[in-house]
Amino acid sequence: MNQMSFVAGQPPGVPPAPVAFSGNRGRFLSLASRGAALELVTFGFYRFWLVTDIRRHLWSHTLVDGDAPEYTGRGRELLVGFLFAMAILVPIYLVYFVIGIEAERFKAFASVPLVIGFYAFGQFAIYRARRYRLTRTVWRGVRFWMDGSGWAYAWRSMLWGLLVLVTLGGAYAWREAALERYKMHHSHYGDLQGSFEGRGWELFKRTWGLWLFGPVAWIIFPLLPIFYAEFKAREWRWWLCGIRFGDVRLESKLPNTALYGLYWKVIGWFLLFDLVIGAYVALCVFLLKGSGPMEAAMQALPKNIPFMVLLVIGYLAFILAFNVVMRLYFQRDLWARVASSTKVHAIESAENVTAKGEAASALGEGFADGLDVAGF
Amino acid sequence: MEFTANTAEQAAPDPVRSAVYYDGKSSRKRTVVLAFGDKLVISGEGLPSESWDYADIRRADGAPGVLRVSCLSASPLARLEIRDATLAADLESRCARLGDNSLDGRSIARIVGWSLAAAASIVLVILFAIPLAADRLTPLVPASFERRLGDAADAQMKAVFGGHACKAEAGQAALVKLVDALRKSSGLDLAVEPAVLDTPIPNAFALPGGKVYLLKGLLAKADDPDEIAGVLAHELGHLAHRDSVREVIYNGGTSFLVGLLFGDVTGSSTLIFASRSLVTATYSREAEQNADSFAIEVMQRLGRSPKPMGELLFRVTGKEGDNPLSILASHPLTEDRLKRMSELDRQAAGPPLLTRTEWTELKSICGPVSKT
Repeated sequence: MNQMSFVAGQPPGVPPAPVAFSGNRGRFLSLASRGAALELVTFGFYRFWLVTDIRRHLWSHTLVDGDAPEYTGRGRELLVGFLFAMAILVPIYLVYFVIGIEAERFKAFASVPLVIGFYAFGQFAIYRARRYRLTRTVWRGVRFWMDGSGWAYAWRSMLWGLLVLVTLGGAYAWREAALERYKMHHSHYGDLQGSFEGRGWELFKRTWGLWLFGPVAWIIFPLLPIFYAEFKAREWRWWLCGIRFGDVRLESKLPNTALYGLYWKVIGWFLLFDLVIGAYVALCVFLLKGSGPMEAAMQALPKNIPFMVLLVIGYLAFILAFNVVMRLYFQRDLWARVASSTKVHAIESAENVTAKGEAASALGEGFADGLDVAGF
Repeated sequence: MEFTANTAEQAAPDPVRSAVYYDGKSSRKRTVVLAFGDKLVISGEGLPSESWDYADIRRADGAPGVLRVSCLSASPLARLEIRDATLAADLESRCARLGDNSLDGRSIARIVGWSLAAAASIVLVILFAIPLAADRLTPLVPASFERRLGDAADAQMKAVFGGHACKAEAGQAALVKLVDALRKSSGLDLAVEPAVLDTPIPNAFALPGGKVYLLKGLLAKADDPDEIAGVLAHELGHLAHRDSVREVIYNGGTSFLVGLLFGDVTGSSTLIFASRSLVTATYSREAEQNADSFAIEVMQRLGRSPKPMGELLFRVTGKEGDNPLSILASHPLTEDRLKRMSELDRQAAGPPLLTRTEWTELKSICGPVSKT
């Protein structure tokens, strides 16, 4: 392995490798808009191909040490995973329904705690979906992969969740650290094993103020996006700095204020869309209201079919436009900002990694979709 | 670019024909030389020479300005990366099926087509298959399970309406007498437990398993025992036809399929949907019509006219036909129901179902009625 000896002979203080995002914003916007329109035409079935397209775009425009990773997942796999997940979920729903009836008989709304069972299932799905995404990520001809057990993860997540509940959120940082340790310990790049060195205490030190004054933001609600953006930026930085693959480690210089703009812009767009839809509804009312006294004319409107059709069209357009905005800011822009703040140390030690690991099935993504816990 | 040891040590390759190669077995970056013959030949130092069939070469996602390709017959993760635009164009021109992996217009059209077909089939299943399945499955549901459904709905009902059933003894006796007369006349073999709930909403409903609730709001609007008798007979009709079980199967199946379409198949919404149907008794119009037929038959067998029931409903809802959205209504239009019952109106032949005193007692079951 002359390569390794060469690396070992390098003088200390090799500069860290940068991570850069080179994606064109307009391209992403047209990708997301077209995807939203196709989602409408296909009654939502296009979502599998849209998330695939978005991931392919983000992965392939992120340059790590000059080379972009590749997302090798496909929409068809997600569709199949979703159908399999449905086949498994349906009998579970039926059992849930029957148990729910029994519980309700015992006491009204006693079946509500059964939702906890679905929360656990959701945690399992999150773990398995991460496994799918990771095994579809290939960099320099070697795939990332993951072992470990989704149920072991769900179990940990539930217990930590209980602790967070009991401490009114105080234990959140330790929960994140513990869960991330589990996930990263079971993540691999070829034969390089991952690990997570972020400490719960570190995250707590960086975020306790926001936790303590969080309730204030709920009262003075314009503070809420600021608090949340600040919290997210600190958390991202802590998370990235904790990631290890063998000797490779990440470092992030994401400023605390880096995400403020994203939240404000999304809120701005939301308000703008509200104004537009308000004007649209007003226009529809003006054009279609019958003659006669104002009150009677207004009462007749809900029975006016063209008016109701126009309202539904307006509502769908609003939802689609807002979805595009959310994807643009919270997926693409967030990704771009976080990625470009990152540097990779000791990447030389990943220069001759032996390939290992198999691609996992998309069943986990199917569960995540069916249970509405889907992530990126 | 830090082309490491390998690059530096090699005799400088023709820059135009050089590319980066990953063999898919390790992450080692190798500089290779490409030769375009019958096949694409990839050769580099310390590397067994690879030859790729042009027809097997596919484009893989790469950063802008980099042509990244894979080969179907090579190691699945082996990748060749070409940064030189001329060389990339040269290779592209030789690989006819380079873009076969990408999602072109035709595959999108196929996705749209299949989605529309799936949506159409789901709609057809909702319209035809599920009602049929509900009809066929309902007789198979054991009565004990139906009673459990009813008990569960009852607990929710009581929680929603404050759980207050009116307890005046004489009134309750009159109600039981009325319901018993109806039940015997209809031949319904089921223990029916009637009660009046203290809520101003004018409605009545039957829960699976035999609980029949009359809401005080409806009782207050009634002028005659026959009006209430008709309504109660209608509810007994739902019990006799086991409409709740049918409705639970129907709603559960429908909301699951709709969820399948839009991806929101969380158990909670299905359950909410199904249990809401229990509580609010939104039976379908067909079930309502059948229950009306049942009520008419029972009243006629008792020698009473069904018309008063129609009049009471009309008093509650008013004329409904002006609403063009009435196709979406869960019940038949009140005026149509009144018309149907009026046509069957005839002079009362049987004895009154309640004495004047019993009727007064029933009216004041929730406490004295304020005369308006």
